[in-house]
Amino acid sequence: MIDGVQVIDFHAHVGRMDRYGMQDDATMMLRAMDMAGIDRACVFHIFYPDGTSSNDLTARFVAQHPDRFIGFAYVSPLMPERMIPELTRAIDELGLAAIKLYPPYVAGQDFSQAPWDPIYQFANERGLTIIIHTGEDAPPKHLSVIAPRYPKANFVAGHSGNTPVERAQGIAAVQANANVYLETCSTFRTPGVIEQLVNEAGAERVLFGTDMPLMDPRPQLGKVITARISDEAKRMILGENARRLLGL
Amino acid sequence: MPTLSFKPRVPVFDANIRVGDTPDTPSPCRSRAELLAEMDFHGVQRAVIYHAHTEATSPIAGNERLEQWLGDDGRLVPQWSVLPTAESLAQVEALYAQGRVRCVRLHDTRPAGLPFRCWAYAGLLSWLSEAGIPAWIPLPDADADALVTTLQAYPRLVTVLVGAHYTHALWVRPLLRALPTAYLELSRYEPIGELEALRDEFGARRLVYGSWHTRYAMGPMLFYLHHTDLSDEELALVCAGNLERILSGEGVR
Repeated sequence: MIDGVQVIDFHAHVGRMDRYGMQDDATMMLRAMDMAGIDRACVFHIFYPDGTSSNDLTARFVAQHPDRFIGFAYVSPLMPERMIPELTRAIDELGLAAIKLYPPYVAGQDFSQAPWDPIYQFANERGLTIIIHTGEDAPPKHLSVIAPRYPKANFVAGHSGNTPVERAQGIAAVQANANVYLETCSTFRTPGVIEQLVNEAGAERVLFGTDMPLMDPRPQLGKVITARISDEAKRMILGENARRLLGL
Repeated sequence: MPTLSFKPRVPVFDANIRVGDTPDTPSPCRSRAELLAEMDFHGVQRAVIYHAHTEATSPIAGNERLEQWLGDDGRLVPQWSVLPTAESLAQVEALYAQGRVRCVRLHDTRPAGLPFRCWAYAGLLSWLSEAGIPAWIPLPDADADALVTTLQAYPRLVTVLVGAHYTHALWVRPLLRALPTAYLELSRYEPIGELEALRDEFGARRLVYGSWHTRYAMGPMLFYLHHTDLSDEELALVCAGNLERILSGEGVR
């Protein structure tokens, strides 16, 4: 809690990447969250294309601290026959709250192409939120294609596109579509990025994220806290927008 | 516990600020006055600065362009860039003779095929070591084996390893163990919990705060440092004390 705001991290992971020192040690994650005043983190596991293996790990992780972690479901068009049955199971049986997609794992197609449509249709029918990794390897311009086709789903550009050209695409998608949002985590901590997102997309469309445990959440929180934006904008970014999207 | 606004509670001396434009990116701080205003906003009193032109094109020309940023109030400490050529070394030696060299930054010669090896860098590193001048070494494109092999030949040379990233997570601890006179600059080192873990293993005296502004925003890592379990004494060392010691020629412990 920071100045009365319940702080929600919209982008965190379950799983290990040992070469980068990433491990989903809940104790370590909670310790960093507590030092930063982060109340809850949305977590997802994205390393198994069958979806089931990833979502079971996510659910098991969340079950350790259900008051602190919120699980999101993962599926991949690499195994198209599993997408809808697994999403149905993950949402209805495991209680996962939203969907995470990682397009760079699907070579040769962008995320506006037909293989991804069943996922978007599923989210549209249920009014779910989908956070999609974006960057040079997954340009957020594709959000401008899919968002108007699925108006009851909400789409979040993970990393807000990361780099300047892609960031501009993400902002354009927000400006054109009421159901698109931008999430802040990135090692690209370029000066003025948070200010740009607020000024051009609107604070009500920006979500705080950290990429924990790949990265420590505290510098990512520092990006928002030390930005030249109003306290009201910080409140929206740090928690109020996420609460609204997730119906908390 | 954090609040929606943040100011540091200890003096801050930033070890790593880049000034000036690169050929493809105009700087968000276009003048010395704008840089000082940014530092004031974030509660930073002093900074070591180098010119972007020294990285992108020419250390010699970039060092000349650094002069206009310095002023005479002592808030901005020049960091001269150098590479192992006679002309570059002569430029820095002349500045040294004027008493104006407190640290240098090694220009990356690997893109031009010159590795960071003793046979290529011996003249430069010998001079720095004998003169007691600390050297900042950017890590992003460095070769870990070359760093250790070469720097171990100069055990009294103090180095500040700059810009470690989470993709360097496997390197950092072995580097600090192998190089006892090396310090780690923290501008973009974000593996979870690692700051406290490095403090536990190596002590706060081996860690140096830098923002790497204008590549990165000035505030986030400073905020991070203030929300760890570092004591105020340790925080003061990381935010300013260690850098003061290094620049005073007392970096060899």
